[in-house]
Amino acid sequence: MAPDQTQEVALRADHKLEFPYVRATGPILGRFFTEIRDNGKFVGIKTSTGRVICPPVDVDPDSLEDLSVEDMVEVGTSGVVTTWSWLSEARPKNPLDKPFAWALIQLDGADTALLHAVDAGSEEAMSTGMRVKATFIDERKGNIHDIACFVPED
Amino acid sequence: MGDRCAVIGIGQTKHTDKRLDVNQTGMIRESCNRALKDANMTWKDLDAVVIGHAPDTIEGCMTPELYQAEALGMVGKPLFRVHTAGSVGGSTVIVGSKLITGGIHEKILVVGWQKMSESQSTWALSPVIPFQPALMAGAGGFFAPHIREYIRRSGAPEHIGIKVAVKDRKHALRNPFAHIHQESVCEEEIRNSPMLWDPIRFGETCPSSDGSCAMVLVSEKHADRGSAKPAWIHGTEMRSEPTIMPGRDEVNPRSGSDCAKSLYKQAGITNPRKQFDMAEVYVPFSWFEPMWLENLGFCDEGEGWKLTDEGATSMDEGGDIPWNCSGGVLSSNPIGGTGTVRFAEAALQVRGQAGDRQVDGAKLALGHAYGGGSQFFAMWIVGSEKP
Repeated sequence: MAPDQTQEVALRADHKLEFPYVRATGPILGRFFTEIRDNGKFVGIKTSTGRVICPPVDVDPDSLEDLSVEDMVEVGTSGVVTTWSWLSEARPKNPLDKPFAWALIQLDGADTALLHAVDAGSEEAMSTGMRVKATFIDERKGNIHDIACFVPED
Repeated sequence: MGDRCAVIGIGQTKHTDKRLDVNQTGMIRESCNRALKDANMTWKDLDAVVIGHAPDTIEGCMTPELYQAEALGMVGKPLFRVHTAGSVGGSTVIVGSKLITGGIHEKILVVGWQKMSESQSTWALSPVIPFQPALMAGAGGFFAPHIREYIRRSGAPEHIGIKVAVKDRKHALRNPFAHIHQESVCEEEIRNSPMLWDPIRFGETCPSSDGSCAMVLVSEKHADRGSAKPAWIHGTEMRSEPTIMPGRDEVNPRSGSDCAKSLYKQAGITNPRKQFDMAEVYVPFSWFEPMWLENLGFCDEGEGWKLTDEGATSMDEGGDIPWNCSGGVLSSNPIGGTGTVRFAEAALQVRGQAGDRQVDGAKLALGHAYGGGSQFFAMWIVGSEKP
């Protein structure tokens, strides 16, 4: 049987498959990202039944009608952890380069939670119902990465 | 075919190059809200939604219908997606109609859309692969050889492709929803536009559009609910074939002609040119008009270009069988919605809702879509009277 020469003769080439995608956010998510970027604030949206949804949605899940920027309301930059999962080894594109918790955080004044990272130092420091506050990066660009992470509130 | 199915609501966006003011879902909702208003219905009245969208690489948003379900009012209700490349806008409508004719649902919404400004579709559809020549061709590069072969076989003169482009762009001036409104269009302007893929000039190609088109389809018992008389479905058909196979005729594909034959049989069409009042046919590059005239049996093989040449398909020349009154794909092309716009235009015409592009007294119309490498076909016939 002839020796396998596959390794010697195989052609190799670097190949990066990528396309130049862009996104229009629409007025409501646009305002959400703009408030974070310009003012370090969070805004949610009030539905026909009075619920405040944050991050905001374009369509009222209760009435199924379109919502508008007029329905948007400010919520807090602090809130409560409603559930969480500890990540003992951070992966390269995670928001933190050390162990942290992925958590659902219900901001003050909101009726729904948003997903983000909590830098608590250790798993033992995490608990459902704990209060956390947002921290932002310095050079904000108007996307979700403007939120650095959440940290336990003193 | 089961129960009767009627179109009672039609809505589309103004097709354009960039809808920066709305996100994908917002643009879809705009067309759906218009269709629901036309149908005198609300989101809560719907039993199901069927959505069509071309390959996800076009916007780089994978299975967007999953996150759109809530905005489409489908929490706890069925929403599903149809996927047949460029013909998807037509196939989506047909799949939706089967839910009605099969007796599964009574009131559904079908919608086809694409927001092409959010990427570059040519590169998304023809990526550079290592060790293979980079074609950088896109759809025009793929179809140009088919067109050259059509010209060789039929002996059609050069000006036919130019004439189709002028005709469709003039039709578009009558349609407020068309993307391209080229007021100055004339044969000289098209002839002087750059040659992109010989024999296809820039002026003979479709644009890339942001747009969405929706229709409300209902069972007979809800047919009178809309703001205008309903359009009745007289037949629907789909066919497909492989991109490459021995003996395949890419110029006059068998799946297209078989699809038309089966469709015509459902509606008793024996002479399409005479029996239809208009046809809205997927012509993304001008030369596809004569090619599809033949494939769809409006004339004998090799004769399609003569119909175009004599003005038979032109509203402005008073043709007997106007094709693409909306301005066609040459004037608006949100890929996943492009087939839906064709189907919707046929329905608008038989409902008498086509405004300045209305064919007087239109009673029976053909809507047509194709996709892939001329291999996926979807067609329907709608009429002002019950089938």
